[in-house]
Amino acid sequence: MAYVATRGGERAIEQAERLYRAAVGPIDRARIDAIAETLPMLVDRVMGEASLYAPDLAALALAQTGGDLYEAVLLLRAWRTTQPRLSVAQPIVTGGGLTHRRISAAFKDMPGGQILGPTLDYSHRMLATEVLDGGRVAPEPVDPAAEPAPPSPPPLTDWQRAQGLLDPVDAQTPAPADIPDITREPLLFPASRAHTLQSLARADTGGVLALGYSAMRGYGQAHPTVNELRLTEAPLRVKHPCGTLFSAGRIRVSQAEVVTAKGAKLRLGFCAGFGWNEVKMIAGATLDLNSPGAAPKSPTDPEFFLYHTEPVEASGFCIHFKLPHYVTFQSSLDNLRGAAREGEAQGEPASGAQNAAPKPEPAAPAVKKPPAAAPQPAETEPAE
Amino acid sequence: MSDHSEILETLARAEPAGLKAAAGDLLPQLGEIEVIASRSGLVMAPMRDTAQGTDFHLGEVLVAEAHIRLRADGTEGYGMTISHDLERAMAMAVLDAAYRSGQGGALLADYLAREKAAQREADTKTLREIEATRVEMETF
Repeated sequence: MAYVATRGGERAIEQAERLYRAAVGPIDRARIDAIAETLPMLVDRVMGEASLYAPDLAALALAQTGGDLYEAVLLLRAWRTTQPRLSVAQPIVTGGGLTHRRISAAFKDMPGGQILGPTLDYSHRMLATEVLDGGRVAPEPVDPAAEPAPPSPPPLTDWQRAQGLLDPVDAQTPAPADIPDITREPLLFPASRAHTLQSLARADTGGVLALGYSAMRGYGQAHPTVNELRLTEAPLRVKHPCGTLFSAGRIRVSQAEVVTAKGAKLRLGFCAGFGWNEVKMIAGATLDLNSPGAAPKSPTDPEFFLYHTEPVEASGFCIHFKLPHYVTFQSSLDNLRGAAREGEAQGEPASGAQNAAPKPEPAAPAVKKPPAAAPQPAETEPAE
Repeated sequence: MSDHSEILETLARAEPAGLKAAAGDLLPQLGEIEVIASRSGLVMAPMRDTAQGTDFHLGEVLVAEAHIRLRADGTEGYGMTISHDLERAMAMAVLDAAYRSGQGGALLADYLAREKAAQREADTKTLREIEATRVEMETF
């Protein structure tokens, strides 16, 4: 084990943080409220990936990080560990709560009908550049219908099962406290369905989209059609000390089923998560649909897509490569030079690496001065 | 409104300033109160998958919780709201204790009726706007 001795970086680190925070600017309650009010989809996305439903804190995390989503998710995941878990709520069941959007691309006449809800699906996407010239874009108010929509249309799968199009559900439903929990148990493979769906719920949107898209383009076994996509405000049902069950409030949840008609019956993939984030749910459901029988190491292999879409681990591993790796790299360089010298001794032409190296050196000591042309060692805590 | 579950749901969703004011109005008549818990914490939120019926966790919800006991008769009151507002949860617990001990009277009944009506009206407004987005698909 070798370390690069470092000293004197404390001031630089402090100033570097100041530089970052200066770019973000001052943060106050009004700014948090503005983020929560005007960027609900972004707040939803961060809450989903952080697996912490707390809109104010998500807005605060976005403000503090200047909108760096991975940093914001990390902040929330870290903060979450400071709080005790008070209880486990009753499972949210599709067909409860307040449904804001509910569509199917497979069954146009689904029972309960199709409700677009808040969406830009059929809108022109045009940048409102007039705002930059002093104009103002104010949303047109909705012309409400005379009658309210039914708050909780039944899930399409109820009708499909009644029609014999889907296999009946035979899963065991454990007590809420006994549901497997990825935050307290390791993710092992083959993963349980509960672990798979929980991991997808907190997965990175971009990662899930990339791998789900690869399956849609042909690197999967089944082409998805959206069976039902639903955005709801679902009740968080908890227990009073006297035993009464009640809703402590509503949380925004999105869920998607995708369907394939291959085989004797329909087969579904499913994904759900905190907040309204349709892209992630459709892509996640596509991965779920394609995972049975997926080839190992393929994008639809659960071990592949669950490991590679965990946002904190993935981003953390990626950015750790920018931290000091001088000893590791110096060792590689020494090997390269040694191999070049051996080649020369055996009469082989000198390699490009040998020529490019500033100056051949003997085996690296634990601490050494680099060649003048090479970057200076970091004056920070060593990474190795 | 007499169903305990419905009352708790109304209180948990209630507009915070009005909830706290109502609790403040009722507090003097409840006598001495023991606070069993007043804290923020997390409630894990599971969901049932519609494809295979598997229960799994979506993640945790930040809540404020309050649990109190009236010294006079031992009645317990409980509050939990999706927020980190401990005062709000405590106000809910005070009103729950008032209801369960039978000390709420007309003050509590009126407040609950008003709040429930406001929540129903807000839901109806939202659902009328949602209904305006209903589409009828036709095949040519």
